[in-house]
Amino acid sequence: MIQKKICMLGGFAVGKTSLVRQLVSGIFSEKYLTTVGVKIDQKSLSVRGQDLLLVLWDLYGDDDFQKVRASYLQGASGYILVIDGTRKETVDVAWKLHELARKAIGPVPFAILLNKHDLVDEWVVKHPMISDLSDQACLVSMVSAKTGEGVEAAFFVLSEAILKS
Amino acid sequence: MERSRPSSPTHSPTEYAKGESEDFSALRRLLLSPEQVQLDRLRQRLDTFVIGPQEVSRVLPDAIRLRARQDNRLLASMLPITQEALALSIKQSPQLISDSIAPILGAAIRKAISRAMREMLQSLNQTLEYSMSWQGLQWRWEAWKTGRPFVEVVLLHTLRFRVEQVFLIHKKTGLLLNHVMADGISSQGEAAISGMLTAIQDFVRDSFQQGQDEGLESLRIGDLTVWIEQGSSAILATVIRGTPPVKLRDFLQTTLESLHVQYWDSLQNFQGDAAVFLETRPHLEDCLQAQFVKRRKGLPVVFWGLTAFLLALLGWWAYQASLNHQQWTELLKRIAAEPGIVVTTIQEEGGRTVFHGLRDPLAVDPERLLEEVGYPPYAAGFHFEPFIALTPEMVRKRAITVLHPPESVEVSIEGSRIILMGESSHGWISKVIRSAPAIPGVSEISLERLVDTDVKQFESLQVELEGQAIFFLSGQETVLNRELVKIRQVKDILQELDTKAVQLGRKPSIYILGYSSPVGSQPTNMSLSERRANKVLEILRETPFHVLKLFATGKGVDPDVKFGPGGGQRYSANRRVSFRVVEPGISPRGEVGAKIGP
Ligand SMILES: Nc1nc2c(ncn2[C@@H]2O[C@H](COP(=O)(O)OP(=O)(O)O)[C@@H](O)[C@H]2O)c(=O)[nH]1
Ligand SMILES: [Mg+2]
Repeated sequence: MIQKKICMLGGFAVGKTSLVRQLVSGIFSEKYLTTVGVKIDQKSLSVRGQDLLLVLWDLYGDDDFQKVRASYLQGASGYILVIDGTRKETVDVAWKLHELARKAIGPVPFAILLNKHDLVDEWVVKHPMISDLSDQACLVSMVSAKTGEGVEAAFFVLSEAILKS
Repeated sequence: MERSRPSSPTHSPTEYAKGESEDFSALRRLLLSPEQVQLDRLRQRLDTFVIGPQEVSRVLPDAIRLRARQDNRLLASMLPITQEALALSIKQSPQLISDSIAPILGAAIRKAISRAMREMLQSLNQTLEYSMSWQGLQWRWEAWKTGRPFVEVVLLHTLRFRVEQVFLIHKKTGLLLNHVMADGISSQGEAAISGMLTAIQDFVRDSFQQGQDEGLESLRIGDLTVWIEQGSSAILATVIRGTPPVKLRDFLQTTLESLHVQYWDSLQNFQGDAAVFLETRPHLEDCLQAQFVKRRKGLPVVFWGLTAFLLALLGWWAYQASLNHQQWTELLKRIAAEPGIVVTTIQEEGGRTVFHGLRDPLAVDPERLLEEVGYPPYAAGFHFEPFIALTPEMVRKRAITVLHPPESVEVSIEGSRIILMGESSHGWISKVIRSAPAIPGVSEISLERLVDTDVKQFESLQVELEGQAIFFLSGQETVLNRELVKIRQVKDILQELDTKAVQLGRKPSIYILGYSSPVGSQPTNMSLSERRANKVLEILRETPFHVLKLFATGKGVDPDVKFGPGGGQRYSANRRVSFRVVEPGISPRGEVGAKIGP
């Protein structure tokens, strides 16, 4: 079994924690997020015959991406950039976090998740806005942490990309 | 070096010189003089050529560099010398070396010392905590109160520590390399925990701006302590229940260090596949240590209990020993004092003490003496020959055995005289008189202070009888009705007297004495008194007696009755019949019997 550290990155209230919660029922209370700034969960899955254990680091962060400790990114094999489809400014935050991650851990696979797809009517984020980002991403997907739509698949695709890299 | 050999015969300039003329030589000197000088000088230099330090010093650094680049033979040849030199240097001037490395070691030592201090404090705490021996009692109380087995309570309390989980964590990624658990511990999400432990490390480091090597060493969560050992590439985190000893920390540190050495490459190249670290399992399992307080706390109770028990045993033994000694002395004392037993020798025979000697058959049974003093019967034996003891006690005892005295008789011995005191029946006294002389050791019997109860009764009956009087009217001999009642009483007394006389072997005569008042003539009075006596005799004769003989006799006026003026009463007292007991051979009471004679 191979373990991979994956970081959840994204602006405030984009749904990082909700996405992880959708994927696993964690053992740590979410209060860790505000106290220690991180909450870690594990999710095992099988990707093309390979048993994989994803260790998901959910970072607490407001839109001030500076507060993200570089040490949390250390050793990550991939990361997920979460954007709230209903808020344009979250694209910007994602972009900056992406740059931060690049600097800290280099070019590792990452996925872009446009969250809150259940509220697609209210969406203001359009594809062109994220084209710069999506070129490098292994996956751009519209998901909903609320309904669970696309969540599992997104992690699967990212895992595949990580294994291939 | 070949080229510097000047002695070669073919090329040596001196060789040429030998076979040629002086002129030629001179010519040559003229032509080639400057060169010749140069040549000579060269030759001289070559002849005396040695590589001097100066030459070497010029080329040495470059030579070393060149050679080291070429291969490592230089290194190989220098290594032993360098090592030796270093060793020698340390031996000769250790100060120099320590001065050089002190700056490096300083920090490490400081850290080590502060840690040692902390560890010392911790072990002090433990010592204090565990030296309260009275806890054992408390636990007993607790066990009693809760109804749980004592052992369980002790176990619960004596779990000093137990390493329940060991995490080997990749430092850079926070990913779990391997994980082991103690029996009965279930865990889930080790990978997440592992990550959290790293994250918390980072958090603490960042929050308190510690250096990379410093970090959280321990976390406390209720009963659980998490110890985190930091290595350069891996972290060893242990979840411990209870109070772990400081020694454990050293062990963990050592384990982590050796894991670093062993898995260095794997740690550097770790990409998330922890398979290679499965082999660390035995090392990690070695860390799953547990320690129960080794009944040191429970021990005092047991220990003191045992001690108390042993002391009690010892005390009992000592008591028994002294008791035995007491019993032995008591036994000797008793046997020595015991009448009728003469101990001649005391011997150890087959583990028991055997007394040899003489014993009067009437003496106390020695076995009973054993019993009385509480001496163990199996420890003593007796071998006594029978004999007759003549000590006063034994004589007395024998007398008692032979005579069976009634309780009212006290028997004492004075020399060979047996003294009987108290009272007893006539029959017993007769027996004593008959058999006492036959008792060994008895030659005399003293009965002075022994009252014969039968004689006593006889005498009191006699007194009673002689106190009786049957009264008559003046000049009359008829027995009045009221006097008949008295006669019946007299009859009863006589019957008892008869019985007693039979018992005593006596044959008393009863004299019925008639009296009359002085009124009237003497012959009349005499006759009247005689008639009165006969009248009573007549009545009394109706009763048969075994040995009593009744005689009636008239005595006339009783001379003992004094007649004074106004003595009418006394007259009537003289009109009577009285009784006297007279026995042949036994002095009669009063002068009456003497007068009468047999
Ligand atoms: N409707 C809807 N709400 C969402 C979705 N994901 C998250 N939320 C809500 O967005 C808020 C912030 O979510 P959270 O997961 O805490 O965001 P985080 O700060 O990125 O961890 C919460 O109120 C969530 O209920 C989604 O897919 N649809
Ligand atoms: Mg969150």
